Amino acid sequence: MSLVADSPVNSSSSEDFATLLDAELDSISDASAGLEDDDDNFDSARPEDDDANEIRPLDEFFGSQCRKKRRKVEILNCVIDPQGSTAHDEKLQIIGASVEKDTCTHPGDIGGLCIRCGQKVDDRSGVAFGYIHKDLRLGNHEVARIRKRDFKNLLSQKKLYLVLDLDHTLLNSTRFLDLTLEEEYLRSQTHTLQEALKGSLFRLDYLHMFTKLRPFVRTFLKEASNSFEMYIYTMGERAYAMEMAKLLDPENIYFNSKVIAQGDCTQRHQKGLDVVLGHESAVLILDDTEPVWVKHKDNLILMERYHFFASSCQQFGFNCKSLSELKSDESEADGALATVLEVLKQIHRMFFDQKLGDNVVERDVRQVLKTVRKEVLKGCKLVFSRVFPTKFQAENHQLWKMAEQLGALCTVEVDPSVTHVVSTDAGTKKSRWAEQEKMFLVHPRWIEAANYLWQKQPEENFPVKQTKN
Amino acid sequence: MFFHIVLERNMQLHPRHFGRDLRDKLVAKLMKDVEGTCSGRHGFVVAITGIEHVGKGLIRDGTGFVTFPVKYQCVVFRPFKGEILEAVVTMVNKMGFFAEAGPVQIFVSNHLIPDDMEFQSGDMPNYTTSDGSVKIQKDSEVRLKIIGTRVDATEIFCIGTIKDDFLGVISDPEL
Repeated sequence: MSLVADSPVNSSSSEDFATLLDAELDSISDASAGLEDDDDNFDSARPEDDDANEIRPLDEFFGSQCRKKRRKVEILNCVIDPQGSTAHDEKLQIIGASVEKDTCTHPGDIGGLCIRCGQKVDDRSGVAFGYIHKDLRLGNHEVARIRKRDFKNLLSQKKLYLVLDLDHTLLNSTRFLDLTLEEEYLRSQTHTLQEALKGSLFRLDYLHMFTKLRPFVRTFLKEASNSFEMYIYTMGERAYAMEMAKLLDPENIYFNSKVIAQGDCTQRHQKGLDVVLGHESAVLILDDTEPVWVKHKDNLILMERYHFFASSCQQFGFNCKSLSELKSDESEADGALATVLEVLKQIHRMFFDQKLGDNVVERDVRQVLKTVRKEVLKGCKLVFSRVFPTKFQAENHQLWKMAEQLGALCTVEVDPSVTHVVSTDAGTKKSRWAEQEKMFLVHPRWIEAANYLWQKQPEENFPVKQTKN
Repeated sequence: MFFHIVLERNMQLHPRHFGRDLRDKLVAKLMKDVEGTCSGRHGFVVAITGIEHVGKGLIRDGTGFVTFPVKYQCVVFRPFKGEILEAVVTMVNKMGFFAEAGPVQIFVSNHLIPDDMEFQSGDMPNYTTSDGSVKIQKDSEVRLKIIGTRVDATEIFCIGTIKDDFLGVISDPEL
């Protein structure tokens, strides 16, 4: 080790130190040369062609040269440091750490290779992120770290997260063999219809499907992307999901590496935010189905279903003609997506409101959502009549809960402060009382309409019929 | 790294191919079977450049198939741990970026990207330094170091780093 002998920090104690170093490093290099086995399936024992043998030494050449060079450089740095008051032990420790030891915590792996140190990882624990790469798994620490970092990044750009469902929310698909007679015109006139439908009807021959995008969806995505980072989360298969993403986002601007399909769910028949790389307190979900989001009900904005094709209507038990059969479509300016966009913008405004102070990190979008919801039926006091089954605990009914979430007060008994009687039959005692007292008598659909349209609807539009006994 | 080596393989041929074009058919079958495959030992077989020697065919007992031992020259690509490669970026996301060098796909996670480079999402996601001087985006060329490889029957996958000296962006995507 001539390096040490020539160094200016030469004293009797460091000469002993030098020999100590030598001994230490020799033992380490012996140990690691043994371990220096090529960890990628290299079969070194076969005495095949001479040419094949040429490949082997190169590999060892790379490995050992790298190691020796790095070690020499590190020793140089440590020894020439003139602040020689540190103890021997400390210096040894520093050198110990800089010599290549496996201190990696293996935050995640792709197909068994650690993403940080490249070594083989045996236990593949953690959550699978198959939508980013089919073999990627990340440990919980890593997911938390990425979430935190990304959250800060997004907050500085004043954005939140938005998870979008595909079927019946942003589009409607049907298979070729499910087309009814009245829908056959779609097959033959796909090209001419494109203009009328503003390029939202697609025929996918290889998937044997027709897909119709919901009116306003393109504008919706463009405007939402200014305030939200968007994900697609569907219960369909990956191939279907990728095709739909291409239709919605042909330039791959919105959903790059963010299309989550059925195979990525960690629980069967349940969607979860565990595979979304964002803090739960900043995610909003747009979906037409509530039961799949059991764990994240507070983040969910329920959407009215989009039924364009007859098969979709039939699937949900509607015996009416579908939009395709009637040759009409949902209103673009007035439809569900336009309404929901306004709500999203309002939530975004309230979340990033300057007046609430600088601590944006602590805020929760779920709270904001609750607040906005409570404004819809504020000031209404409701009584229900012939809506719940007779021995049913009224407070547990879905409609009761929905009304309370929308900001209404619900009671069981009539009194002068009641504003609306919700009934399915105009002949009941409470209904007749409402008409007598000039209170509003509405059908339960009035509450559902308020839930979907985020506004109190005119009560005249929800009359109650008298059922014959 | 690319190598030009001689490999040997036993090819089985069905008797219907026997005739004037036997050798050509044998070579065609070899190319179909071998080009595009990979093994742990040699890496990815990129192309067969020539046939060195075709041995005597041996008829298998019980079937009419004949086995020919064929020695052929081919170009193979094998990434090594510690090797420095130039690659083209194919996808950038918040986990890191994916790049391709020939038939090999390499992933560089954000742990192994210098700390001063931050992820910027948007229509062209990229990693940029705080002063905006260096940018890694789709179609950029980068120089990276391989730190781990994994080989299976059809593809080679590597983990890479750009956190060392002299690694990183070489050129920006063509406009």
